[in-house]
Amino acid sequence: MVAATEIPLAAPETDVEEALRPASDRPWRTIVWNDPVNLMSYVAYVFRSYFGFSAEKANRLMLQVHTEGRSAVSTGTREQMEVDVQAMHSYGLWATLAQDGD
Amino acid sequence: MRAFSMRRGEFVAELDAHERTIISRVIADTSDLLGVPLGRLEASRNDEAGPAVGHSMTWSTDEVSEPADPALARLLPSASTEDDGVADEFRRLTEADLRSAKTARLRMVFDELRRPGTKIHVPRERAMDWAAALTDVRLVLAERLGIRTDSDAEDVYELSTLGGDGVDTAEDEIRAALALLYSALTWLQESLLQVMLPTLED
Repeated sequence: MVAATEIPLAAPETDVEEALRPASDRPWRTIVWNDPVNLMSYVAYVFRSYFGFSAEKANRLMLQVHTEGRSAVSTGTREQMEVDVQAMHSYGLWATLAQDGD
Repeated sequence: MRAFSMRRGEFVAELDAHERTIISRVIADTSDLLGVPLGRLEASRNDEAGPAVGHSMTWSTDEVSEPADPALARLLPSASTEDDGVADEFRRLTEADLRSAKTARLRMVFDELRRPGTKIHVPRERAMDWAAALTDVRLVLAERLGIRTDSDAEDVYELSTLGGDGVDTAEDEIRAALALLYSALTWLQESLLQVMLPTLED
């Protein structure tokens, strides 16, 4: 069993670390936005072929873009997300990158 | 126009000379818009495509580097809606590569369309390039047609099915021709996707 006194000491410490974590460490996301031009079949194909998603996952994210207007399709460093966003733009999908917490 | 089907390991569609001329012109115009002319098009300017369609497909290339053109902005969109610094940095790093990737694909499709005969042959490894090039052309046409919402897209589809009914002015005529072309390219791209999707492995 953990001594009762240790719990309050450990927990705030973690929070402080999280709060002090430099902004540059927070992950980035690639967000794909809905548009009235791209075919649902095409968006699903791009998600499967580029990201290697299963048909089920690609269709789920494609439908999320279609019905909710957008979907976060990948997460990582800013540099990784720039590569993914560039690929999406190359395929004619509108994508943006954003940092978590922004 | 005949939809794509799988034949002997490649994707094959059929487009007649008239369809090839119209589509190759809009491919060339899209490449122009990206700043890379595909070459002289005199041969196709004098054929039966008709001045109304020809005129509507030819937009100014004077403002090729002007991001204010919404069609070009759709081909090279902003990578951030919230942070201009992120968007500018991304554009600086990627725009030249995006332009060259897009224009290389457009040139490949353009060259295939200008071969003799009616059949279009797309090797499987080039299918994604074809689908992406068709997307870029459709994005530009959609912008010219004012398609902003799914409902706008449905209106354009409706217009393309009217077959010239309700066309009174030259402006109507151009819009009807663009709507027909947009719908035809949508149909062609969907047929390509329907043969591409089964070739993916999970």
